[in-house]
Amino acid sequence: MSKKLTAIPELCSGCSICELVCAIKHFGVNNPKKSAIRVLITYPHPVMRMPIVCSQCKVAPCVKICPTDALRWNDGVVQLDEEKCTSCYKCVEACPFGAIYAHEDCDLPIKCDMCGGDPECVKKCPKGALRLIPVAALGEFKRLNNILSYTQMKEIEFYEKGEKKIIHYADIGKEEL
Amino acid sequence: MSVKSGYFKKHLHVDLTKGSAERRDLPDTFIEKYIGGRGFGAKLVWDNLRKHDFNVDPLGPENLMVVAPGPLTGVYLPSSGKNSFVAISPATGLYGDSSIGGSFGVELRQTGVDVLSITGRAPELSIIFIDNNKTTIILMPELKGKSCLEAEGIIKERLGTHAVHIAVIGAAGENMVRFACVNTDWGRNAGRTGIGAIMGSKNLKAIVVRGHKDIPVYDVPGLVAETEKACKYLEEHKYFNMWQREGLMNVIEYANEKGILPAYNFKDSVFARHDQINGAMMLDHYKIGDSACFSCPMCCSNICLVKMGKYSGTVVEGPEYESCAMLGPNLGIDNFAAILSANRLCDEFGMDTISTGNIVGAVIEGYERGILSLSDLDGREITWGDEEAILDLIQRIANRQGIGDVLADGARRIIDKWPEMDKIVLQVKGLEQSAYDSRPSISMGLAYATSDIGAHHTRAWTIAREIEEGQGWSDDEKVNTVIYHQKLRPLFDMLGVCRLPWIELGLSERHYENFYKYVTGKEASLEQLLELSNDVYDLTRLINVRLGVSRKDDSLPYKVWANPPLTGPNAGRVIDKEDFQNLLSLYYQKRGWDEDGIPPAGVEKKFED
Repeated sequence: MSKKLTAIPELCSGCSICELVCAIKHFGVNNPKKSAIRVLITYPHPVMRMPIVCSQCKVAPCVKICPTDALRWNDGVVQLDEEKCTSCYKCVEACPFGAIYAHEDCDLPIKCDMCGGDPECVKKCPKGALRLIPVAALGEFKRLNNILSYTQMKEIEFYEKGEKKIIHYADIGKEEL
Repeated sequence: MSVKSGYFKKHLHVDLTKGSAERRDLPDTFIEKYIGGRGFGAKLVWDNLRKHDFNVDPLGPENLMVVAPGPLTGVYLPSSGKNSFVAISPATGLYGDSSIGGSFGVELRQTGVDVLSITGRAPELSIIFIDNNKTTIILMPELKGKSCLEAEGIIKERLGTHAVHIAVIGAAGENMVRFACVNTDWGRNAGRTGIGAIMGSKNLKAIVVRGHKDIPVYDVPGLVAETEKACKYLEEHKYFNMWQREGLMNVIEYANEKGILPAYNFKDSVFARHDQINGAMMLDHYKIGDSACFSCPMCCSNICLVKMGKYSGTVVEGPEYESCAMLGPNLGIDNFAAILSANRLCDEFGMDTISTGNIVGAVIEGYERGILSLSDLDGREITWGDEEAILDLIQRIANRQGIGDVLADGARRIIDKWPEMDKIVLQVKGLEQSAYDSRPSISMGLAYATSDIGAHHTRAWTIAREIEEGQGWSDDEKVNTVIYHQKLRPLFDMLGVCRLPWIELGLSERHYENFYKYVTGKEASLEQLLELSNDVYDLTRLINVRLGVSRKDDSLPYKVWANPPLTGPNAGRVIDKEDFQNLLSLYYQKRGWDEDGIPPAGVEKKFED
């Protein structure tokens, strides 16, 4: 699988629908605390809504630390072998993003399995804040944003076939850069 | 057929005087009859009133405060984050409730309770911490005077976790300002009827919840299918995107165009500089993010930041229409940054933006007309649009300094002290009126007059339909619409869901009988649910009647009869007193109440057990 599940925090509204559909799909229960994705909200410093979900790291700290070899990176997904897992939760603590979860009712850690390549959370996010992005395209969004914030953008309104349009351009000469 | 799921069937009762917490079983009959939310609240408040022989001081330890989500709260369906706070209101002395969105109610349900009730008074400023099955009362006097936002941070630090939800009061609640609110998730407020003052009177700074339990749902696949249908309808609606972008702020333009926007304490109903404070202005210069209630695709809440000028750095969740209208045009303010600043101040103090805007507006007009003297105002002049003086006055109300001490007791006390202000403050039953001008819409007047909590639009909101299509409405239709709204809108509060998908995007109310069926396993038609909601309306009326309400209280503010809006499409229009009285009689008749607005003697029996 050459696609990554990516969160765009600027678009997230914090509605938690991703949590609900994840728990319903994997456990069949209505409980956002049994999901492999959680929206973390900070306010007011900084104002942030950030869905936190496994990045399926290729060189994964959870895989490294697992004492029973229950976690393996395979075709773009870090998979949990339920037979081998002893539920020691070392992986939960080792993940640098806190993207593996534990729940007192569940025997095993709760970890994103990418729903076999078609994640439920991506399909149901009403804001398009969760996306499946080809690995090669990762960072495109950020690159573009970076350019836009780096230059002093100006805009011109004009009419094309009677329709109002706006064109943005960088007016580098006049501002102090 | 009876309820098979959807409830934990548990009622958590906390007595702050005794320092005790007890989980009681909820009988099936109670659950089926009152559904949840304000239904549970009204019944528990009624029982408490009977226990005290209808002699309950709203700010006394005996007043029972109920926190009640509904059976659909936290369930996967469009906007299920609602939670009601119910008690005898310190603003009106009558039945009061206020609901919030966000996630507090969801987390409360996940601790395994359907309803929480609180009575008594803690010896010192305290918090209640409900951590799944365990409930503790923790003394935290160090929170005294802390703003809602600051207190939320301190509590999380003290408990060592950010994964909790908190309902907290600020200085206004502690000082028992009679329109203090309860703040959750930093910026969502149970604003009306002064619930925050009740928490203050109980020395209760905050309710903290952390729950991990499954929310019981009878038929998950059925629910998911119904939700997908509803979400699909919403997402394909032509206003869905606009709704996500602007939320309720789009109402400013609409209200101004139709002439129902309060300006200068309702002297006018249009605002010349509306383009400075509308949704487009917010989008272009202030909005930095969306915010949604639990499980809601519509995300109507905005997060705004002031990026330059003297209010630079102000972050606020909001404003929505009411806050913006009452703190903006109603006070003559045309600077969006100043509105954000006032909104933020209200959030920090934990004070209702509607009542605050209403009372400050009345003070400005009172001073303008010479009813209030400069010495009444502690020597500080105040005029329309004077941002600094207005922000200063808000602060004095929250801290009960000078004139603020009188204003903090709300419209009633203001009228007691300065009887001439009766012609200036817009209130019904002691609750300050919200931001829809009823003068062009007599059905909206009826809605305000007969709302069980006072002049608020939550029970019925008929103004848009009357203005747009109802000019030819017969009295019959007006009354029927008000009564239908008073059944349906509170039903959403009982179920624990938001009514905006229905109001704003026209999601059919029929979905909710299916949601109810899939969650509880009990078949009930919408009509049956509406009847249950109607019974609760009878119950809240009964509470009010037993506390002294009758026809004389189902009235409207003086301005509505006597002072027409000066300009705009509704210039010159007022509600005729006689027309209104006729409409009110018809309303009583259709409700089965007598000419004085009293429900028949037999009704009381319905609520005995």
